[in-house]
Amino acid sequence: MMLERASLRLAMRVAILAPLVAVCSGRAPGPDEANSVQTVPSGVILVKGAWASASDATTPVPEGGAIANTVYTNAYFGLTYPLSRDWVEKYDGPPPSDSGYYVLAQLEPRDTSNGHIRGSLVITAADLFFSPTRADNALQFVDFTRTHLQADYKVTRAPTQLTLAGHPFVRFDYFSAVAGLHWYVLATQIRCHIVQFVFTSRDVSLLDRLLEGMAAGKLADDEVPVCIKDYASPGNILERVDPVLAGRKFNPIPVRVIIDREGKVKHTHVLSAFPEQSQAIMDALQRWKFKPYLRNGRPAEVETGIMFGHATENGVNATPAATAAGRPSRHW
Amino acid sequence: MVRSSVWSVAVAAGLLIVSTAGAQVDPGIRPGAINGQPGATPKDPMPLESVSANRPDGILDFYSNGLTRFQEEDTVGGNGLGPRFNFNQCSGCHAQPTIGGSGLPTNPQFTAVNNGIAGPGNNIPTFITLNGPTREVRFPFFFNSNGTVNTSAPNGGVEALFTVSGLQGAGSCSLTQPNFAAAQRTNNIIFRIPTPVFGAGLIENIDDSTLLAIHAANAGNGLGISGTFNRNGNDGTIARFGWKAQNKSLMMFAGEAYNVEMGITNELFTQERPNPEEEVQGRGLPANCLNLGAAGYPEDTTNYTNTSGTPGSTAANATILSDLEAFAQFMRLLAPPIPSTNTPGGAGSISNGKNLFTSIGCAVCHTPNINRTQRSKITDSLDSQTVSAYSDFEIHHMGTRLADNVSQGSAGGDQFRTAPLWGLGQRAFFLHDGSQTSVYSAIDSHRSSGSEATQVATNFFSLNSSQQQDVLNFLRSL
Repeated sequence: MMLERASLRLAMRVAILAPLVAVCSGRAPGPDEANSVQTVPSGVILVKGAWASASDATTPVPEGGAIANTVYTNAYFGLTYPLSRDWVEKYDGPPPSDSGYYVLAQLEPRDTSNGHIRGSLVITAADLFFSPTRADNALQFVDFTRTHLQADYKVTRAPTQLTLAGHPFVRFDYFSAVAGLHWYVLATQIRCHIVQFVFTSRDVSLLDRLLEGMAAGKLADDEVPVCIKDYASPGNILERVDPVLAGRKFNPIPVRVIIDREGKVKHTHVLSAFPEQSQAIMDALQRWKFKPYLRNGRPAEVETGIMFGHATENGVNATPAATAAGRPSRHW
Repeated sequence: MVRSSVWSVAVAAGLLIVSTAGAQVDPGIRPGAINGQPGATPKDPMPLESVSANRPDGILDFYSNGLTRFQEEDTVGGNGLGPRFNFNQCSGCHAQPTIGGSGLPTNPQFTAVNNGIAGPGNNIPTFITLNGPTREVRFPFFFNSNGTVNTSAPNGGVEALFTVSGLQGAGSCSLTQPNFAAAQRTNNIIFRIPTPVFGAGLIENIDDSTLLAIHAANAGNGLGISGTFNRNGNDGTIARFGWKAQNKSLMMFAGEAYNVEMGITNELFTQERPNPEEEVQGRGLPANCLNLGAAGYPEDTTNYTNTSGTPGSTAANATILSDLEAFAQFMRLLAPPIPSTNTPGGAGSISNGKNLFTSIGCAVCHTPNINRTQRSKITDSLDSQTVSAYSDFEIHHMGTRLADNVSQGSAGGDQFRTAPLWGLGQRAFFLHDGSQTSVYSAIDSHRSSGSEATQVATNFFSLNSSQQQDVLNFLRSL
């Protein structure tokens, strides 16, 4: 059964769109239809288009983080980040993109100063299986950002590797003279994603304090599946059934799967797809069989990505093809 | 006479719109040359430079002919107006600051009944006001027979404002307007305003590879922006016209509008269009509302036997086109607006605002320059040109505040094409629904849950008042 898991906090304001039974059947909607309302709620996205979903509700997914008691926690990334005092998330991020980009949290001070916002923090994740940056690690990802900065930005700290709370990060700072805004970027690799903390403010001392607060964050060392970019390659697929995608949307459909020790698909996370596409893909993947992944000679769970639908230049295609050398990654 | 009256109303309506916080002020509709083009008038926009110079020979006739047809007032018996429609001429809605633009500060739909454009039995809905935006209406969901809204049954189709019933030529056709009051009462209603079409030929002539390269180059942004493209369901290439980039080409844009907005069937949309409820209930339009012009379908066709021009002359060539093709030609050959370098706020403020616009991240989506259009077989002003539309032509999630719960193509209920900003300086209404008359408020509307633009708007509100004013001045200079 497919479960809607996209951006769980946003999902609280997003209703699940039931199948278009009334319209597709060509009959007039009747009063006995489900989801009848007296008034359409304002500020609610009821017609969602391509969205994220997962095959079960318990396996953590990247967009499943949440803030509780002033702490942002993300079980998928094993990430815990205590918010700075009086900082809040006023607005949830958008759903995962069809290039594997997530806005995990966007934070700012509760109060503005004379109508102006003093600073902000956006926490993002980019799936290295699908990212158009073609980066393989945090340094490459940040370097991509640096090389694509607008000309008027001044780099104040070139991408530099450092250790924060015992974990490797890349730090990168830049500055806009015209705006008077400073950006501090901290990036690290987790489960073949680049997780970024992007701090922005006109006040460098505020940014420095926020950066010091990063020390209070945690990245857990829980056992997670090995992530391998190109594991869904012909040499590893023993059985496959191609999903039949109805309609002609031409949208990219990035999918992450966790393959169990026996080579069966244990969990499917569709990052972006229309509901009928997600269902078809999940149904098909249940019938795929992979060669079990061996770590130190013993079967181990593996996580990989498959691109269905309209293949992008940089995505891993559903017709598995050789991609950049994938290697097990377990960076924190 | 017409020129001066329209312009004075426009200026008055947009003047000095004070923002809700701080000292920054939306300067309002920019005075001075229309579209920044000396020589343009409210009824006479400027064609592309090479078209103005008639390169290739004869192309100017196509532009002029298209402009004339764009202003044509359609009637039931003449061109097949209706039976349901929103207005009777393209230029009635695409008029600000000149023909081809968005809606005027004074909405002509408000006087449609009094002016005999709509049938005498029509009521002007309360959301159509004299000084409000020119609008089309959609009901996001179908109603149940008991009057409740069925959120399992997305609708999203245009609900035409008016019917021809009672007009000359309508015969016994008796249609009622959709129940707009019920839609308002149940909050099951959304609005759209006309998109300007200046420079549309340049947009049409951008190769997909150029747009994809811009998309890829922005992948490392730390602003929460991703975006995607609305692809045409026939060939999978990038669609780029309309509020959700749902239309592939100007021909498609024109054909859909001619049928949906004016009720005129054409060679792309060959059947009379019922309202969505009539269609889904399996009834369609009543027989006595079909073929009101008694000339058969489609109502707009190629003019096979046109003899209005000298045979073999270019004037004859232009008149042979169907209206649909002539509209597309006109839009394709329209020049883009020219930004002002010093109004409003002075050159320094505009320059600073432009730099700030880029620095805070607006330019990630509102791409200032796209280099370049593909080679053009039509005219050299479309050939290998920079497109300063301030759009990436992607669709982006805009969040709960702007969501309209209408899906078109691949675009979901909160996804919209990055609105091109060229010409913004002389527009009266902003956002897809025309709900904002202030640029400042329009920026603020970018911040909401689920929006890709929240962080960039946050950066805007991190600027001091003077900097924000520079951004507003820059935007009104476009």
